[in-house]
Amino acid sequence: MYKVVRRKALKPTVTQLEIEAPLVARKAKPGQFIILRVDEEGERIPLTVAGTNPEEGTVKIIFQVVGATTEALNHVPEGGYLQDFVGPLGNATETEGIKKVCIVGGGVGCAIAMPVAQEFHRLGADVTSIIGFRSEDLVILEEEFNECSNKLFVMTDDGSYGREGNVTVPLKEMLSAGEKFDMIITIGPLIMMKFVTLTAKEFNAPITVSMSPIMIDGTGMCGGCRLTLNTEDGPVMKFACVDGPDFNGYEVDFDEAISRGRMYFDYERHAHEETCNLFKMAENA
Amino acid sequence: MALEPKKHEMPAQDPQVRAHNFDEVALGYTEEIALSEAARCLNCKNKPCIEGCPVNVNIPDFIMKIKEKDYEGAYKIINKTSTLPAVCGRVCPQETQCEAKCTMGVKFEPVGIGRLERFVADWHNENAKEKAVAPENNGHKVAVVGSGPSGLTCAGDLAKKGYKVSVFEALHTAGGVLVYGIPEFRLPKAIVAREVEGLKELGVDLETNVIIGKTLTVDELFDMGYEAVFIGSGAGLPSFMNIPGESLKGVYSANEYLTRSNLMKAFRDNPKTPIMKGGKVAVVGGGNVAMDAARTALRLGAEHVYVVYRRSMEELPARAEEVEHAKEEGIDFRLLNNPVEILGYNNPDDPRDPKNGFVKGIRCIKMELGEPDASGRRRPVPIEGSEFELDVDAVIMSIGTSPNPLIKNTTAGLEVNKRGGIVVNEDGLTSRDAVYAGGDAVTGAATVISAMGAGKLAAASIDEYLSAK
Repeated sequence: MYKVVRRKALKPTVTQLEIEAPLVARKAKPGQFIILRVDEEGERIPLTVAGTNPEEGTVKIIFQVVGATTEALNHVPEGGYLQDFVGPLGNATETEGIKKVCIVGGGVGCAIAMPVAQEFHRLGADVTSIIGFRSEDLVILEEEFNECSNKLFVMTDDGSYGREGNVTVPLKEMLSAGEKFDMIITIGPLIMMKFVTLTAKEFNAPITVSMSPIMIDGTGMCGGCRLTLNTEDGPVMKFACVDGPDFNGYEVDFDEAISRGRMYFDYERHAHEETCNLFKMAENA
Repeated sequence: MALEPKKHEMPAQDPQVRAHNFDEVALGYTEEIALSEAARCLNCKNKPCIEGCPVNVNIPDFIMKIKEKDYEGAYKIINKTSTLPAVCGRVCPQETQCEAKCTMGVKFEPVGIGRLERFVADWHNENAKEKAVAPENNGHKVAVVGSGPSGLTCAGDLAKKGYKVSVFEALHTAGGVLVYGIPEFRLPKAIVAREVEGLKELGVDLETNVIIGKTLTVDELFDMGYEAVFIGSGAGLPSFMNIPGESLKGVYSANEYLTRSNLMKAFRDNPKTPIMKGGKVAVVGGGNVAMDAARTALRLGAEHVYVVYRRSMEELPARAEEVEHAKEEGIDFRLLNNPVEILGYNNPDDPRDPKNGFVKGIRCIKMELGEPDASGRRRPVPIEGSEFELDVDAVIMSIGTSPNPLIKNTTAGLEVNKRGGIVVNEDGLTSRDAVYAGGDAVTGAATVISAMGAGKLAAASIDEYLSAK
């Protein structure tokens, strides 16, 4: 069992947990993820590491309540326990040779983008961050990004906070103005990453995308996280858990990844409703 | 007394009933049947059966104990060399091992050794009261990577000799392929859990949620004071055919499909982990895993299940007993057929049609057998122009796996072969000092008992190495 040492509601549906997992805390690097189960009957879900405290032996995760499992996770109190917590999984984000970087995070993906931005800052790189949210009530981590970025853009789709528009707007402005990045790194919803990649491509700017497909074991056993890279030599199958989660954005078949991500859509919606009802019943009882 | 020429049938659930439940198919011998089957053993002088067993169980001796109705005595004989009798009695391919060598088998059917082993193990699990006692610690620490059949065997053998053994398991439950791969109806998980408990009684430490190669490396295990490491990390990445359509929704690897059902309990009502249930299902491949996937699909409510295999029944690698069970349950074998494409829905008028991107069929080509290939089996050759389609809602690819790269990538100096399997010598030793390996991580997908044999061999080698230190 893994203790929830601290719990902090960042926004009504976005929560930060710090979990006691000393071995993971010692090893995890920006870009890597963990897999957890809330309880004995629970499913395994991957979540990217949002930070570590090796001295204390804790790992930070940030999640948005989107389904049955994140709903249940959101109900674990401070001092409570998670059934399972394993990692770190996947490969760390490549930082070598990158002196000027643009980090583009979307929604709760910003939680994953943050440690990557911090790592580049620590390494002395010039960091530009663009973080985008649907609306003001979902804006997270602005202060943290401010601290590690030379330049920061905060965007909301509806203009309720920061600048109105999606994350591609400032990216395109900068690239049009002749700004050159050694690497653009984007983390967020697939559809956002697809359009960030298309924007980068217009200017031949190199781009890395962080993929988070459905997976079970996360160790290279189930093959559920497979995706297609369209390489010079034709389509190649890769596994996000052991080959990724970072890939060259130009090569990723986003449409296929988006379709695969919706495999259990109906099931998940139903399961989430059921879980919500269960919690409501418990609260009313 | 005249010799019974045939081995006693295994009582089993009725095929029509069992095709719709996850309860164990084979029910096990009753005491009466076991005694009568034991009586068929000639207790011959040269005991060829022992040689046929990868862990050399003293078969005639345990059968003699059954004849004396000393079932606990029989168990002790098996347990001397086999760590997992209740598992082996169920999933070993006895027909190609011990029973293939049985003297009775020269003229008649061989003795039902596997069925008797299961009887003894089940009797022990139900009746034995005494717990195993951890032997006195000899002061040496050994780390075992993976809690599948090779790891559990290696750990058990070393613990019995007084080693302090820690087993590191990547998943949240111990048992490896015995829990994520082999379905409940063939190997109830309670049996695996009991075998694992037995190891804990022997003093073995079990650490789940630790991935060697990620959470800790092999080198760090040595830093932590372990003096030898056994790698039994099992099979790895599932193989696909490289045909169009393998990324459609509804295409699973057998690993994923079975893991969802077995480990994550998706077979239950209202599971937390989803799985596609019902519809028509095609399983591609002909091994034991393919049989497990096909029979799981049926139990999950599929209306029709095909096994699509490119060679003929003669070359089909699954155990005869499993194939027989599958046929009885109504699995439709499409032999000498090879998939060329998986077909998906695509509604051109409505890009938001929820069915878009899901599997709707599989296109196959008919095959004929040509000249023998490198494996000695006749090579299947496509018959030009013979393509046809099967309507299916899900496709399960069960065509093998390639070894997991995590340990190789993080262990300097660990030699692997061109397929990625860890290279070991005749003692199970790898290219690294004090690092041993066995099971699927070395051989690629093979059987539970051969993995156990490798775990056993490595345990003996580790004992020899550390005793001399």
